Amino acid sequence: MRIGVFVCQCGTNIAGTVDTEAVARDALRHPEVVYATSYMYTCSEPGQQQIQRAIEEQDLQGVVVAACSPRMHEPTFRRAVEKAGLNRYMFEMANIREHVSWISNDRAANTLKAADLVQMAVAKLRFNHPLFSSQVPINKRVMVIGGGVAGIQAALDCADGGLEVVMVERQPSIGGKMAKLDKTFPTVDCSSCILGPKMVDVVQKENIRLYAGSEVESVSGYIGNFTVQIRKKTTYVDWSLCTGCGLCMEKCPSRKVPDHFNEDLGNTRAISIPFPQAIPKKAAIDKEYCRQFSKGKCGVCKKICPVGAIDFDMEDEFISEEVGAVIVATGFDLFDHSVYGEYGGGRFPDVISGLQYERILSASGPFGGHIQRPSDGREPKNIVFIACVGSRDASVGRPYCSGVCCMYIAKQAILTRDHLPDANCYVFYMDIRSPGKNYDEFVRRAQEEYGVHYIRGRVGKIYPKNDHLIVQGADTLLGAQVEVEADLVVLATGIEAAAGAKELAEKLRISYDLHGFYMESHPKLRPVETNTAGVYLAGVCQGPKDIPSSVAQGSAAAAKVQALFYRDTIETSPQVALVNERACVACGKCIQVCPFGAIQWKQLRGGVQKAEVLASVCQGCGLCNATCPPKAVQLQHCTDSQILAEIDVLCA
Amino acid sequence: MGKTDSPTEKRALTIIGFLCNWCSYGGADTAGVCRFKQPTDLRVIRVPCTGRMDPLFIARALILGADGVLVSGCHPRDCHYAVGNLYARRRLEILKRMLPFMGIHADRFHYTWVSASEGQRWQQVVTEFSEQVGGLGPNPGVTSFHTGNREEL
Amino acid sequence: MNTSILSELKKQAQQAWPELDLLIGWETGYDTLHTTPVFIKDSSEIQRLVWNPFCAQNLAGYLVKSPIVPRGEGSKKIGICVKGCDSRSVVALIQEKLVARDMLFIFGIPCRGVIDLRKLIPNQTGAKILSVRLTDDQVEVEHSKGLQHLAFADVLMRKCKRCRYPDPVIHDVLLGESVLPRIESHELYQDVAAIERLSLQERLAFWQTELDRCLRCYACRNACPLCVCQDRCIAETRDPKWLTQYMNLPEKFMFHFIHALHLAGRCTECGECERVCPMEIPVSLIKEELNKITKELLDFEAGLDLEGVPPLLTFSPAETGI
Repeated sequence: MRIGVFVCQCGTNIAGTVDTEAVARDALRHPEVVYATSYMYTCSEPGQQQIQRAIEEQDLQGVVVAACSPRMHEPTFRRAVEKAGLNRYMFEMANIREHVSWISNDRAANTLKAADLVQMAVAKLRFNHPLFSSQVPINKRVMVIGGGVAGIQAALDCADGGLEVVMVERQPSIGGKMAKLDKTFPTVDCSSCILGPKMVDVVQKENIRLYAGSEVESVSGYIGNFTVQIRKKTTYVDWSLCTGCGLCMEKCPSRKVPDHFNEDLGNTRAISIPFPQAIPKKAAIDKEYCRQFSKGKCGVCKKICPVGAIDFDMEDEFISEEVGAVIVATGFDLFDHSVYGEYGGGRFPDVISGLQYERILSASGPFGGHIQRPSDGREPKNIVFIACVGSRDASVGRPYCSGVCCMYIAKQAILTRDHLPDANCYVFYMDIRSPGKNYDEFVRRAQEEYGVHYIRGRVGKIYPKNDHLIVQGADTLLGAQVEVEADLVVLATGIEAAAGAKELAEKLRISYDLHGFYMESHPKLRPVETNTAGVYLAGVCQGPKDIPSSVAQGSAAAAKVQALFYRDTIETSPQVALVNERACVACGKCIQVCPFGAIQWKQLRGGVQKAEVLASVCQGCGLCNATCPPKAVQLQHCTDSQILAEIDVLCA
Repeated sequence: MGKTDSPTEKRALTIIGFLCNWCSYGGADTAGVCRFKQPTDLRVIRVPCTGRMDPLFIARALILGADGVLVSGCHPRDCHYAVGNLYARRRLEILKRMLPFMGIHADRFHYTWVSASEGQRWQQVVTEFSEQVGGLGPNPGVTSFHTGNREEL
Repeated sequence: MNTSILSELKKQAQQAWPELDLLIGWETGYDTLHTTPVFIKDSSEIQRLVWNPFCAQNLAGYLVKSPIVPRGEGSKKIGICVKGCDSRSVVALIQEKLVARDMLFIFGIPCRGVIDLRKLIPNQTGAKILSVRLTDDQVEVEHSKGLQHLAFADVLMRKCKRCRYPDPVIHDVLLGESVLPRIESHELYQDVAAIERLSLQERLAFWQTELDRCLRCYACRNACPLCVCQDRCIAETRDPKWLTQYMNLPEKFMFHFIHALHLAGRCTECGECERVCPMEIPVSLIKEELNKITKELLDFEAGLDLEGVPPLLTFSPAETGI
């Protein structure tokens, strides 16, 4: 093989701490290396042209680029060598930036390491073979997991493009957290007025199939052809019959059921429709509170239901859906502020979360939009807002900024002053984060136009005194202690990963970060893709963000799916396992361990059987290769010979 | 070459790292992007999954005189291929316990889990393992043994 | 006692014959000290069978390795004679679906141990053995330099001295009476414990000395009933090239790592590898160490439970600390 080595300087990113010229010269020592050079930016157009020219002039059969991480530019360079007539797998990359120049300033050691990595890449390349992709058909249906605003946007955009959409929502109604909001910042438009029509669209589009009250049970398959098992959780109400008339809810005798939609501020019934604008507008029984289940007799709803939809024997139902892509938009949960002992640890009824206050403000909320204290129904005179509760606080494991709290406090304070012009609003904050369009102006309006008192500092303690809550804090700008006699305290509770986020990630085989937010493929350049092809992200499941960003990401994910589905087939990676039939001893261990069922028996003449890999199902993990005793099954592009070559040059 | 700026002088320690493409290789990239400084002895071999790791690769490296071998993959239950690291975990642990029986220090081999977001953890893993291997000194390998004038055939 | 077992074996074999295509057992070899495998294809040959403490060879390997073993559809069962240790190999092969249980007719023989021929010959004398007479606990050896009485327990193979399964763990007929294990389970790994007590340097030196003698004849591999790769063994393939032909210590270490690690969680400690080693290298110790680890770590012993899954072919998501 005639091998060319191209050492990238990456400006000074690499050349600053690696002698790239020396690395290139050293590469010429290695067997079969006939050309080596160093260049300022190998990934740039002239850099790629330099490679292509060298392939032609030097008659190269293999190329090594020593540059950044292959996770960054391997596809770029593969395309470049392919344009010059080489097979794209006759290319190897040595990571001398992320793994060398950026982690040490020792020029001599870095140069040595870079030279070693080049030598390893050359050693591996000598065992490379041209590999060729094949095509498999795409199932042009998309699944959206999560029916919040991000998922709704993604589903509608996909459906508008003519795709068949399957939406799975865990709650009995779609709408997500946005459905609970009263108004949205910074325009102060009514949340349900702008979300409602979109929710209605979801059920009215013929090409969207909605599974509410359902969860993803398991996922198998791969890009273009996923099979998703859905568990439709029993509601004890046959939704094909239920008309959402609400009669059952009216007559249900079990009345002390915490209303989760209203953040437990009010009560609902054991059989209920979550909220008036719910989509689908169907009743569901809360088994925990239903007398039929707890006492064994009642059945009022069953008697009253005009369509006979109630079925106490109903069980979870399992449905299998075949889709070609998955958009994950599972949103978030609210930080549980009871871990903060200084704020009462959840013991004071008038210390509430931001979302609870949102429900209080809402006309469809527990108090009909009238601002009152949950404890005694009194109208509050002094209201304190505390920012960063469960945000930017490493001591509770939430070092990140939730991104929306500063803005929603400003909105809630403005709305409070609108509702109760005589009330005083105080905001304790660390910093104001208002980087969106018209956001900072909005905060200023709260301060200047609405007279909200902003106090920079933390609250040290809240304690009850004579029907009030004494809020003790510091004003760090004045360097003084502050004490406010509050009637109501609203904690700007932060965002955390949704419950069950990790379990879902494991089913989908996508990564999540330390806090349970899903990892995008690249933080800047591939923000809606995951590292599992065919699975895309939208909304807060990927990280805290506001409504416009969630909607934008929903649309972006939909666009990615549309782009994927534009073609009828998808190119499969040839980096899959391959069986050498002559070496296979038919022990079947590969079949036993393959996580994807990608290996099966192939019957040959004379009753002989051998293992056979289904290339379109194989994901290329190499578990079979590691397991195979005679190494008859080899993972292409990561063969034993290639790994051994890399080990051997280092240990020589 | 024989030039003074030649990078071909012998490295102090030879440490081979087998990193899964999806988590730990990404974690090492993250550490680089964050400019987390690390010892320079590690040489990384990228594999798709720790499930790809036949313990024999590690045995081979240590027999041939590598001073240390580090294997790192996705955290259990977070494998890109669902279960590759769960198979690997058993295989690697058995190897680790077997090495000292054959006269190879168990501390020359370490396996761990680092996700793509854990740049800082990667820095710590590399630093600690390099120090651990450095503390053991060069691997005598199995070749330090000589029986008289026995020659390689 | 052995004679009564043998006559019972012959009787049972005769009875079972209509079900069988082939019966694998032992017959007398070129002298009374040696037995060799016999492949009986006709009931008239059943008379050739023998059973005595020289029947050391584990016949289980033939089930997967011998070309004369019928495997096609419609063939009748294969009869096989097994000692306790051999029976575990059969179980391991069934576990790995390399043979089907319903294709086998297993003649199980509780075993008091088999003799290590090397221990019969007086040290360093080079004397030629003329005859051997066995009683229940004595071995009388007549050799060119005189007569010698040895205790049966002293001339056993190492594996027999640490035998915990003298009774076959699987059988269709059981011949003779049950035999008690020679040791308690806590004594099982005394031989490897002796090596573990050495310092790291001493252990390395031990294996350097032992493995340096290895000729890479691969007799250990060929004798192993579970080394089913045979000619496809990666010790000999050129692609991938795990080993070279160089006769140096790293290559020898690597070969024994391959052999042992391929048996991790599978080895049933039949001791064949060690028995056949022409250089008397205690290669079985490496597998015993792996078995000890597997037992401690995963609570698994190979070749006992037909439903058992070899531990490296499965996993448990919940297991932590490993």
